[in-house]
Amino acid sequence: MNNRDSRIERILGHFRRGDLSRREALRALGAVGLIAGAGRLLDFQAIADEAGKQAGPGGIPLSRPDKPVTLPLNGSPIASGMQPESGTFQIFNYQDYVDQKSVIDTFAKKYNVEVQLTTFDTMDQAITRLASGAVDIDATNITPDRIAQAVAGKLLAPLNHDYIPNLKNAFKSAQNPFYDQGAQYTVPYNLYSTGIGWRNDKIKEDISKRDNPWSVFWDPKTKDYTGYTGILDDPRESLGMAMLYKGFTDLNTEDPDEIEKALADLKAAVPISNPKVNITEYKDLAEGTTWMHQSWSGDLLGAAIFYMPEGTKPDVLSFWWPGKGKGAVQGDAWALLAKSKKPVLGHLWLNHLLDHEVAYNNFTTFTGYQPAQPIDADQLIKDGILPANLKNLILTEEDLGPGSLQYCQLTAKGTALWQNAYARFSSGA
Amino acid sequence: MYPKWLWPVFAVPGVLWLILLFLVPFYAVIGVAFGGIDPIFMNPVPSWNPADWQYDSMIATLKGFLPGNSYWTVLVRTTIYVALALAGSLAIGYPVAYYISRHAKRSKGVLLALLVLPFWVSYMMRMLAWVNLFSPNGYINKFLVWTHLVTTPPDWLNGNPTSVVLGLIYGYVPYLILPLLAALDRIDRSVLEAARDLGASPAEAFYHVTLPLSKPGILGASVIIALPMFGDYYTPNIVSGSPKTTMLGNQIDIYFHGGPQPSVGASLTMLLSLFLAVLMAYYMITIARAQKELQA
Repeated sequence: MNNRDSRIERILGHFRRGDLSRREALRALGAVGLIAGAGRLLDFQAIADEAGKQAGPGGIPLSRPDKPVTLPLNGSPIASGMQPESGTFQIFNYQDYVDQKSVIDTFAKKYNVEVQLTTFDTMDQAITRLASGAVDIDATNITPDRIAQAVAGKLLAPLNHDYIPNLKNAFKSAQNPFYDQGAQYTVPYNLYSTGIGWRNDKIKEDISKRDNPWSVFWDPKTKDYTGYTGILDDPRESLGMAMLYKGFTDLNTEDPDEIEKALADLKAAVPISNPKVNITEYKDLAEGTTWMHQSWSGDLLGAAIFYMPEGTKPDVLSFWWPGKGKGAVQGDAWALLAKSKKPVLGHLWLNHLLDHEVAYNNFTTFTGYQPAQPIDADQLIKDGILPANLKNLILTEEDLGPGSLQYCQLTAKGTALWQNAYARFSSGA
Repeated sequence: MYPKWLWPVFAVPGVLWLILLFLVPFYAVIGVAFGGIDPIFMNPVPSWNPADWQYDSMIATLKGFLPGNSYWTVLVRTTIYVALALAGSLAIGYPVAYYISRHAKRSKGVLLALLVLPFWVSYMMRMLAWVNLFSPNGYINKFLVWTHLVTTPPDWLNGNPTSVVLGLIYGYVPYLILPLLAALDRIDRSVLEAARDLGASPAEAFYHVTLPLSKPGILGASVIIALPMFGDYYTPNIVSGSPKTTMLGNQIDIYFHGGPQPSVGASLTMLLSLFLAVLMAYYMITIARAQKELQA
């Protein structure tokens, strides 16, 4: 080890022992001009793969539905029985992913505060802005694959469940999720599965009746759909679909050979079904410009409820997903920021989101994404919100928990493997 | 008599603008290309000191541009699309600029205003309008079927390279016409009259006088639209969205969009800039030569 590496190691040693925070460690490395070398060491050795175990940021083990993780506590939750703060409450979310009228305005009125919504385009952007302090936020939407990262970076505050009695409204497995055992930092928000959405008035075949419905993207017999198909513009989902097509269900694999195989399979679909690669299936299927698309169930619900053109009934849409253990079920969550000056109000916001009536209205009048709570699909059908043929869009308790599949956080090396494979797919090479 | 420092002072805002909005951000891109990542958040950590630069990412990206490797196909495709779009833009833009410069007379002001009109609508909106026009049930296909020009409506928006090239032409042609018009306007009319006096036909005068004299204008306008075309990623995204029509800008977007490899995105950006710098150098040399010829 040369002098340069030994200096890096010394600083990293302090960081690993907890003597230095991440920011202090970076500052120390930066001060002596060693940050680039440290990045290399930290990236693939010091943090990502300690003692041969797959660990994520800060050495926190990578959570999986069958390998739940209890996150380390950053300080203590706030005390019980405190009064909510006043002033402007800041929330951070995707655009068009929380209803102003039924969610934000009702909260503002209930606690006599102003609520300011700041939006982000991607979770990467959200984490970057939160980590850099570019935004002053009290509560944020966050996906499970980024929660350990946010905890390791000390961005999130632990929760006091006394303020969140509505957590009981969530699915049991969502009350104690595998990625945050004991819901120490997060409460669940919405859920969705990944499958195939199609227009049954354009495609006469019932895709769900195939032995392997994913095969429709690789089937030369379905040439009539060529050009009217699509797959999700997402490295994990698109390559994951190719894996599921071949019956490979380890959607969090970091095996380069498996990722290469998925890439080869995905590329093979291009000359056959000529798919568009985008995430606009919620409107493209509704408008009929796309007939068949790898889809998130929430987008199909949104299409059925909000996007059908006048004169087109939502029952022209169909959906299939492989079911528990064979297809992915994803979700997202809300968390309170460690820097929040309004922690009580933040807890009450999380509780508000879990209120069944608020969650139901948010779902049926705005987002189209099902809350992580039991939803009576028959009632939705009876109320004319959902056509009977789309009942399978609604997820139940049985679809979650151990044995379910989910795209989870990978090591930096694993993420790079998936990203590079996706870039090669996207290049059309 | 003005003090010596007065005129250089006028350049200060431009120099500051260049430093703050180009040189510093570009050095940040270089820092990211040769830097590391934050171990927790995977954000880029630029390496400001060249002594600490890591070259692995740049070398791997460079190798990707070799024939048969990951970026080769997309580089060739991007170059072809840009070349075709440039040729198409010139084929449309030059006659328009020539007409306005030479023959428009009183309607020149109106025509100039019409040329500027597309800038009133955002590029994105204009592209989205195309999507509606060229969709399977759009007006273009309805017209083509109605006139029996085709029996089956063409599939314009699903990985069709023609649509991407047309989209690029449509998006960038106004940016070509305006500088070209300025260049044509600067041509001394007495030179053309001299050509005619010496017996040249209008076509010969155009071919032997106007065209050579407008060469710097053609090159300048071409550079102005070719540079952003090379980095364009939203045009193929909107009018195609297929891996078959991806351009280099889309690859950069993937790596900057998230994940642990911002250095790859930054390396791609640097290499693209280098490639464009070569084109720019050719333009500068040609202009210098043209000026020398004029002075001689």
